[in-house]
Amino acid sequence: MVAMMHNPLRPAQPLRLVNAPPSASPATAHAIIRVEDLSIVFDAPRGQVVAVDRVSLDVMPGEFVSLVGPSGCGKSTLLNAMAGLERPFEGRVMVAGGPMLGPRPDVGMVFQQPHLFPWKSVRRNIAHGPRALGKSKAEALRMADDLIEMIGLTRFANAYPHTLSGGMQQRVAIARALANQPRVLLMDEPFGALDAQTRAVMQDNLLELRDRIHATIVFVTHDIDEAILLSDRVLIMSAGPGRILRDLSVGLPRPRSSAILTDPAYLALKRDCLDLIRTEGRKAFEQMEAVT
Amino acid sequence: MSTGRHDPANAVRRLSVLVGVLSVPAFVGLWELVARSRIVNAVLFPPPSTVAVAVLDWIHSGQFFGDVSASLFRVTAGFAIGATAGIVLGILTGEFRLISSLLSPLFHILRPIPPIAFVPIVILWFGLSETGKLFLVVWGVFFTVWLATHIGVQKVDRGLIRAALMLGTPRRQMLSEIVLLGALPYIVVGLRTAVSISFYTLVAAELAGAFAGIVYRIEIAQQNMQTGQVMGGLAALGLLSFVADRSFAAISERAVWWR
Ligand SMILES: Nc1ncnc2c1ncn2[C@@H]1O[C@H](COP(=O)(O)OP(=O)(O)OP(=O)(O)O)[C@@H](O)[C@H]1O
Ligand SMILES: [Mg+2]
Repeated sequence: MVAMMHNPLRPAQPLRLVNAPPSASPATAHAIIRVEDLSIVFDAPRGQVVAVDRVSLDVMPGEFVSLVGPSGCGKSTLLNAMAGLERPFEGRVMVAGGPMLGPRPDVGMVFQQPHLFPWKSVRRNIAHGPRALGKSKAEALRMADDLIEMIGLTRFANAYPHTLSGGMQQRVAIARALANQPRVLLMDEPFGALDAQTRAVMQDNLLELRDRIHATIVFVTHDIDEAILLSDRVLIMSAGPGRILRDLSVGLPRPRSSAILTDPAYLALKRDCLDLIRTEGRKAFEQMEAVT
Repeated sequence: MSTGRHDPANAVRRLSVLVGVLSVPAFVGLWELVARSRIVNAVLFPPPSTVAVAVLDWIHSGQFFGDVSASLFRVTAGFAIGATAGIVLGILTGEFRLISSLLSPLFHILRPIPPIAFVPIVILWFGLSETGKLFLVVWGVFFTVWLATHIGVQKVDRGLIRAALMLGTPRRQMLSEIVLLGALPYIVVGLRTAVSISFYTLVAAELAGAFAGIVYRIEIAQQNMQTGQVMGGLAALGLLSFVADRSFAAISERAVWWR
């Protein structure tokens, strides 16, 4: 287990809650992720589905940005487009100055399921990326061992994934994505399948890890607590067709820990987010009612 | 639960073990008795002792080794070629739409034809050569392994593929590691089925005409009315395919090593 030795929280500062326009502005030319008028359309049996509708957003280097919104609003699709797993129908996605034409090793991804290679030990799972990128076996394994220590699984280095708990597997998946030293780490509900206790531990682990890796993180979640706890910015998406409704800055002191979840200022911010999401959820429901 | 001596369940269990151990000897003994009692024709239904003598003669004549190695070679070489081709083409058709559209319809037409039905055409093409015999075994093994691999490849967890893509896995490694190992549990099942198929097709191949082999020996013995030798050959073939199946079962448990 990663030692969790956070500094005690500084006295809570008033939270900033900024509603920025959800569009890219020229002032943010050095954004590491730049999504411009992105639309993604799927062919479904009942016609075309607009999963992402003219979304523009910028993420600055080192930022931690969360995407929240009702189920089916296009969070995963938007994230997959940033990963190069989904091609734009219109618009474009630029990461580190280059267009995303396919998966790239400087963009890492952690999925809701760990998707570890079942035939590889923890060590070799983590070493997979560096090996694939042409590092020597010795060097790849050395990098893996460092990461294993960082996620606190040294005792399980040679274990096969199916012998680990869900939380441990997800930690290995995070380490595996980090092994390629990505500039951008995309996470799609990475703790969604975990129980509440494990999830809380994983959130603390991620906060701790983030201080060491200096990667830009885009994090999809259903859990508004999780989004506020972890992020510098929370993007709230509208019920499908997927659009970004609000862009909230979370001005919360770091380092943070889950202790913040009972802070009154934090609760006020959470209430605002929940109201927005609830209104959106209702809209989505009414839209569905209207269609059927 | 009682574990006492008079527990009826326990008694039944011990009795079944005893019956199990005595079953084959009792059967052989009965066969010996019936065959010697002249109730049946001893030429057509020789006692086990006669069969044993025939097998010993076979070994002493020096033909046994040649026959067994000829059959073993056909089965193993045919299996190896057919299985390799099946796995490679299964991965290609499972992974690439275009290759699948090209080959799958053809394979699905040819696959249901029993391999034995190809004996006449094989004789026309290859005569009594070894190539013809290998061809039959390869043919039988190939389709089973191909289908298992093809299905296995399509069932590979898409999440694993995406994870591998995100890590920069090169195309070649994608096929040779992620897809192959992802499909391995299916492939192993196909290979095990193919082991018994390779023996069926071996029989057909040797019956069609050969110069050595266990089934060839059985056929010669039949023509000379050496019923003991016929039965000895059957026993040897049974033993061989039993050993092959068991060793393959042991191998296949270790093949999916991460379970
Ligand atoms: N491959 C696909 N083919 C057709 N439609 C798709 C496909 N993937 C997603 N969709 C549709 O696009 C919309 C957005 O899906 P997406 O998975 O991005 O939502 P989400 O916000 O991640 O939802 P959740 O919170 O449940 O994970 C949905 O209406 C979904 O049905
Ligand atoms: Mg999703």
